[in-house]
Amino acid sequence: MVSMTVVNVQGGLSRRRMLGALGLLGGAPAAVWAATGSAVMPSSVPAAHSDARYAQAWRAMSRVGYGPTAALSAQVLAAHEPRLWALQQVDAAYAQSQKPPLIDTDTADFAMPLPLIFEGAQQERQARVRVKQATAEQTSPSPVRRMGKKDLADAPEPEHFSRRLAMQAAAWRLLAASEPERENPLLARLTEFWFNHLNVFAGKGSARPFVGHYAVHVIRAHALGRFEDLLLASARHPAMLHYLDQVQSAAEGSRGMQGRVRGLNENYARELMELHTLGVQGGYSQTDVRELARVLTGWTVSPQDPSGFRFAARVHDTGAKRVMGVAFGDTSGRGGEQEGDDAIRMLARHPATAQRISRRLAQFFVADQPPEALVQRLSATFSRTQGDMRAVMRELLQAPQMWDADNRLFKTPLDFACSALAVVRSGTSEATDGRTLLQTARFLHDAGQPLHGWQTPDGYATDAATWMAPEALTRRTDFALTLARNAAEPAFLRPYTSAATLEAVDRQPAAMRAGLMLASPDFMYK
Amino acid sequence: MTPDHDGVSRRALVRGLMAAPAVWAAPVLWAQSRSGGHRSTAGRDGQDGRLVVVFLRGAYDGLSALVPYGDRHYYAGRPNIAIAPPDGTQQTTLALDAMFGLHPAFAPLMPLWKQGVLAALPTAGSPHATRSHFEAQYHWETGAVGERSARPGWLNTLAGLRMQAQGAAAPGASDGAGRQRASGAVPVQGIAMGIGEANPQILSGTAPVQLVPKGQAATRQGALGNGRTRDAVMGLYAGNDELSRMFRQGADSRMQTADTLNQEAMQTPDEPALNTAKMVAANNGAGSVRGLLLDVQHLSTLMRQNQHLRLGFVSAGGWDTHANQGNATGLLARSLGDLAAALVQLRAAFSQPNDVVLVCSEFGRTAQENGTRGTDHGHGNTLWVMGNQVQGGRWHGQWDGLAPDQLHEQRDLPVHHDFRAVLAQVLRVNQGLDAAQLQALFPGVAWDKRLDGLMRA
Repeated sequence: MVSMTVVNVQGGLSRRRMLGALGLLGGAPAAVWAATGSAVMPSSVPAAHSDARYAQAWRAMSRVGYGPTAALSAQVLAAHEPRLWALQQVDAAYAQSQKPPLIDTDTADFAMPLPLIFEGAQQERQARVRVKQATAEQTSPSPVRRMGKKDLADAPEPEHFSRRLAMQAAAWRLLAASEPERENPLLARLTEFWFNHLNVFAGKGSARPFVGHYAVHVIRAHALGRFEDLLLASARHPAMLHYLDQVQSAAEGSRGMQGRVRGLNENYARELMELHTLGVQGGYSQTDVRELARVLTGWTVSPQDPSGFRFAARVHDTGAKRVMGVAFGDTSGRGGEQEGDDAIRMLARHPATAQRISRRLAQFFVADQPPEALVQRLSATFSRTQGDMRAVMRELLQAPQMWDADNRLFKTPLDFACSALAVVRSGTSEATDGRTLLQTARFLHDAGQPLHGWQTPDGYATDAATWMAPEALTRRTDFALTLARNAAEPAFLRPYTSAATLEAVDRQPAAMRAGLMLASPDFMYK
Repeated sequence: MTPDHDGVSRRALVRGLMAAPAVWAAPVLWAQSRSGGHRSTAGRDGQDGRLVVVFLRGAYDGLSALVPYGDRHYYAGRPNIAIAPPDGTQQTTLALDAMFGLHPAFAPLMPLWKQGVLAALPTAGSPHATRSHFEAQYHWETGAVGERSARPGWLNTLAGLRMQAQGAAAPGASDGAGRQRASGAVPVQGIAMGIGEANPQILSGTAPVQLVPKGQAATRQGALGNGRTRDAVMGLYAGNDELSRMFRQGADSRMQTADTLNQEAMQTPDEPALNTAKMVAANNGAGSVRGLLLDVQHLSTLMRQNQHLRLGFVSAGGWDTHANQGNATGLLARSLGDLAAALVQLRAAFSQPNDVVLVCSEFGRTAQENGTRGTDHGHGNTLWVMGNQVQGGRWHGQWDGLAPDQLHEQRDLPVHHDFRAVLAQVLRVNQGLDAAQLQALFPGVAWDKRLDGLMRA
């Protein structure tokens, strides 16, 4: 598990040192930040590039990250080729994933050691009983809805513990996505991808305290690693164990506390096969679901162990099982906790899993209907390397389809929000404040894509068919105009903007232009 | 292929909104004039009905809503989560007949049952045996069971069929209120609407659809409310490309929506339940059952104020009760109570002679409880139909009880009635669709004569 070092980002590290540490320097001259704090294009960068180069740079920044900032744009344009820059991010992202994330000191509780989170959650339950809140746990507020500045940092009431953690986690995700100097863009992207693939819902009370920790220590930590390691880490984490009711599952007829008879819960086993690995056509049956559930009995949480995981042998089903034709249980010699490990690795290595994940990656990075040849190539690489994400991402980023202008991608609300934040943030030396984060979270919530707030384990789709809707477009423009109301016009965006949009923007007063550029059709695609 | 924007009727609508008393009178006039001018050319007379579909995502437990208390297997299989048989007290089933009763949380629906406008089908569903929520929802929303290729939603296809029929009828007619309609024109937003920002599959397709966000976001005009910014923004989307046209459509419909809802809010006295719903909708994740009441309220207002809208869609999640489901009280009971409140509101808003409300879910849940006092994914489920055209006050279809050998794969309610056959029965009457149109909507689906008694002819 990656250990956590918390840094005070505002005061501690100079921006330049951070950029250096993150491997993002090189090519671009140092003085990107003018004395006034507004971003300017360094004079030594060539005045213009070809349209094709700008298009490639836009695509690289918008897909391998969350869009351009002044600094990022300068860097990518100065690289030999934007495509090459994209490829370089694979190793850079991996390197950063092995280091702790940069989280502001006073908002880092969400990633603290699990035993502390368990303790806080328990105190929260007790506090709630004391406070006698009327709303039951399952209908308690979605955390991002009530975010306030003080909720993020100050010592709040214990009964708001998990909500505070959830808000901190959401804030971190937004900052990581919109500040390339804080988090490698590709790492932020893959954190999103994998969180969505192995989705947990912050609105489920029992899972809520753990969702941020899950995002950092499971998803981010393994985002560029081997898929089966990521999957196993997910399977053993309290967020997932609670979200899909695995903690409640026990061998049929086993006795729980107070002598209560317990039994099997299929929820996690089903979604593990249907969504996390094989896919609904992946060749498993209802019987396989049940058998896998039997294999996984005993997998539960530990409030004391640093891993948060415990194998409860007492409720484990020790009988013989058969999952997709493979024997598990005491007849095969494997047993106990190892069974679950083996079953999960088996599913991770199944060819249908390679297919499913490759298709999702191609949809996420390339096109809503990705070319089949690309999906197959990625799948072959996935299988050959046992799910090594660096190998798969290199394959993807070098594929011609990735850079083909015909493969358009419409931004999801999350893409739109983070790319807008990145632009506005780029023009100032101040940190993104709590109010802005709150506005952003509210926008995402209204748009139907709240952070860590997708209710079902399938995760959200990223295609235009889902997100391109008439009124939804107008809400994006609202958000953009509000966000950028005090921002100077982002000159660095102009080369990426069409003549028609520039003409429409230039007709308007200067104060409006930043918002209009973010609200324009050009900014809706990545 | 979006029809040109009908500037005349929009101005008239806005004018109508400004004169408050006229707003309430207008719908009645409109309804009367409708039968004169805008009947569909195919199908039965005056069957220009409105249809609202309420989709419960996550497979709600119908056996807890329409309780088969008369079947001993129900109690044998659900020792912890069964609803106690009726004994006249609060926490027990409300008897409907010797076999079935309502969950006590559904008490507000009892008057509707007794009035004969509410009916249930306990064993409806998709013939496909998938227990994947997402796959099953896709089948329900497209009507193309078993297919995975891209398909339009059936509500969108239905909207297209109706708009074709309307366009073919009486071009250039004027309605009773004297508003001249341009030839063949349908409002640019179409005749179907849904609550929810992302495009629900059931509404996706080539027919234009109005999508309004869940919760209070629907009431806000945002930047478009300021003339200056509105002009500046519209200048960005002046082109002929798909995105620009869509943007302009969205801008128009959004302003109308906000206008309509805010007018309504100004005129409606404060209702505690609604305020709670607003508060809770603002606090909860949108899409919860508690938020459903507010969404239903918005749907009702928008469809009342814009009589062009004939098809409506809302959804609510949170039904996937794998653990600790509860019985007469608890998690599911609360959701059922919230649903009942929403359905009462829908009935109040959609009680014209040819209004129908449908409540459905992608599949049911296991007849027996699981090891964690919940239920797992099943097959057949209870489908509810509400409206004057419905033979209410009774349940319809085949019921063989819950003995294990009567269950699908020994665990689930069987599907005796393909949901598309149920829809065919409803739409034939409510939408005036003929056999050819029903086949276009649901290719290959056979007519289910056993349900001929579902709708009043």
